[in-house]
Amino acid sequence: MDILKAFAIGTMFGIGVFQILRRSVIRSAIGLLIISNAVNLFLLSTGAYQGAVAAYAQAAGQRSDALPQALVLTAIVISMAGFSLVLALVYVLSTRYSTADSDEIAELKH
Amino acid sequence: MDSHLVLLPIIIPLTGAAAGLLLWRRLRVQRAWSAGALGASFIASIALLGIVWQRGPVVFQLGGWPPPFGITLVGDLLAATMVVMAQGILVTGLIYALGCRDKCATYPAFFPLFLTLTAGLTGAFLTGDIFNLFVFAELLVLSGAVLTAISDDRHGPEAAYKYFFISLFAAIFLLSAIGSLYVSYGTLNMADLAERILRGSQDAAPAPPLLGMAMVLMFVFFMVKSAVVPFHFWQPDFHTASPTPVSAMLSSVVVKLGVYGFLRMTTLLFVPYAATLRGLLIVLGIVGVVFGGLAALGTHNAKRMLAYSTLAQIGFILVGIGWGTPLALAAAIVLAVNHSLIKAAMLMLAGAVASRAQVKSAAFANITGLGKSLPFMGALFLLGAMALAGIPPTNGFIGKLALFQSGVVGREYPSLAAIGVASIITVVYIVPAFRTIWWVSPAEGVKAKPGGDRILAPALLIGLCLLLGVWAEPLLRLANHVSVWLGDPSAYIAAVLGK
Repeated sequence: MDILKAFAIGTMFGIGVFQILRRSVIRSAIGLLIISNAVNLFLLSTGAYQGAVAAYAQAAGQRSDALPQALVLTAIVISMAGFSLVLALVYVLSTRYSTADSDEIAELKH
Repeated sequence: MDSHLVLLPIIIPLTGAAAGLLLWRRLRVQRAWSAGALGASFIASIALLGIVWQRGPVVFQLGGWPPPFGITLVGDLLAATMVVMAQGILVTGLIYALGCRDKCATYPAFFPLFLTLTAGLTGAFLTGDIFNLFVFAELLVLSGAVLTAISDDRHGPEAAYKYFFISLFAAIFLLSAIGSLYVSYGTLNMADLAERILRGSQDAAPAPPLLGMAMVLMFVFFMVKSAVVPFHFWQPDFHTASPTPVSAMLSSVVVKLGVYGFLRMTTLLFVPYAATLRGLLIVLGIVGVVFGGLAALGTHNAKRMLAYSTLAQIGFILVGIGWGTPLALAAAIVLAVNHSLIKAAMLMLAGAVASRAQVKSAAFANITGLGKSLPFMGALFLLGAMALAGIPPTNGFIGKLALFQSGVVGREYPSLAAIGVASIITVVYIVPAFRTIWWVSPAEGVKAKPGGDRILAPALLIGLCLLLGVWAEPLLRLANHVSVWLGDPSAYIAAVLGK
């Protein structure tokens, strides 16, 4: 199960990185969201390995940890605020420059 | 009761921003309210520094949870010094914003955002919990990005997008670092974490596999925050396009978050691995000094030139942290405070000149010769330029002297020679800038508009630069105390965990 989770997180991270490297600002914004969700999953998975034991537990019989869930909740709220600002900026940029190509949104050279 | 004092510099701007938003219909009241809130918070932070100076660190456990389970706010000497520096500069930024002609300063969201920027920066300095650091850093980034996106400059949204995208990515890096540290040690409290890392390095058992990862990710986060060279590309655009009162803050105090982070990483969190980090910081610092200076030479815009110059000045600070001796750390802190004062003043002066041009832009072609009718601003700019280049009797000289002295004492000759030669570049770009704006005759028919941004704020800052140049003793003493405090991480750990 942990292996599966690790692969899922890794795949999401990979897709996110690929999307971020695209030229379209919309695609790269979506890539950012995917990566932030991959990191959230990673945080969540640190609470319980094999569904029961916290990742850092050294003694036997230690229970899973609920704190990462609180962390993820906070991170989700923050990334929601951040992502809504990114979408708003993408909207302003794509209407102002009438393109979503990041190579053409480059008037700040000097 | 004293321990509540560490809350005030965060709570006052935060509630001030919320209440300010409710006053959105009454702009004058909102402005007065915001100025009052920031002033009160500045006074509270000075009181905090006073108490920390007299009685040692002030620790507050939010919600009464004992450490390491709850969120801890730690006002130690380093944090309190940084907070006083940041809020002092932010107060002058607010004064500038009150007297500036930018249209964006009349938007109802401008001053509340300025206050959340203050709260984010202050909170990031004062928190003793790495996840809380992430939250405050996000607050800082969100308010900074929005303040730039609403700029009068039509490139505002483009610059804000670049900055915000990179910063969100950096925040994801920090979040991964937090996850990696939590996996390895099961704690988020900085003092607890530092103790466990120190103890882990003394064991025979190998270090947790994710520790190195966490170190690199956190390092990269702070590099993006300070715009250290490979991650600097957003910074000149961002600082050029944002409104003058905001860009003066971003380029002076907001970049100090990274400096603070490097200080904490090398003197508290990762002490057993500090030698590696310090070596990296020296290299990055030298590259920053050389690259920032040369890039500033090739610019065509006064604000952009000053933004690149920030890269070089941050480089000096990083070299100081990299040398890591008590003297060098003290020099780094003096440099950090001085650079904040100087850079804020210079950017405000550049913006004030631009506001008197026919077209509002700080491009050299647009403001050539404008200074002929503005002699007082010219004098201020000249003093600021001297401070930036490190010429006495300004505070810039004190900082550079302290840094070079610590290099000589520490026998760091190769890196000392590198930054010594590179520091001459400052003179090479700042003198032509002065000449272009104040010496060259303006083109036919070009005249400074009457009115424009008020220059009370930069005058105050330059005055402070001169004062700290002539009477440097208090700042030097403070910096020395901070570096002594930083030299003993166990004192920080004991203060927070109450052992």
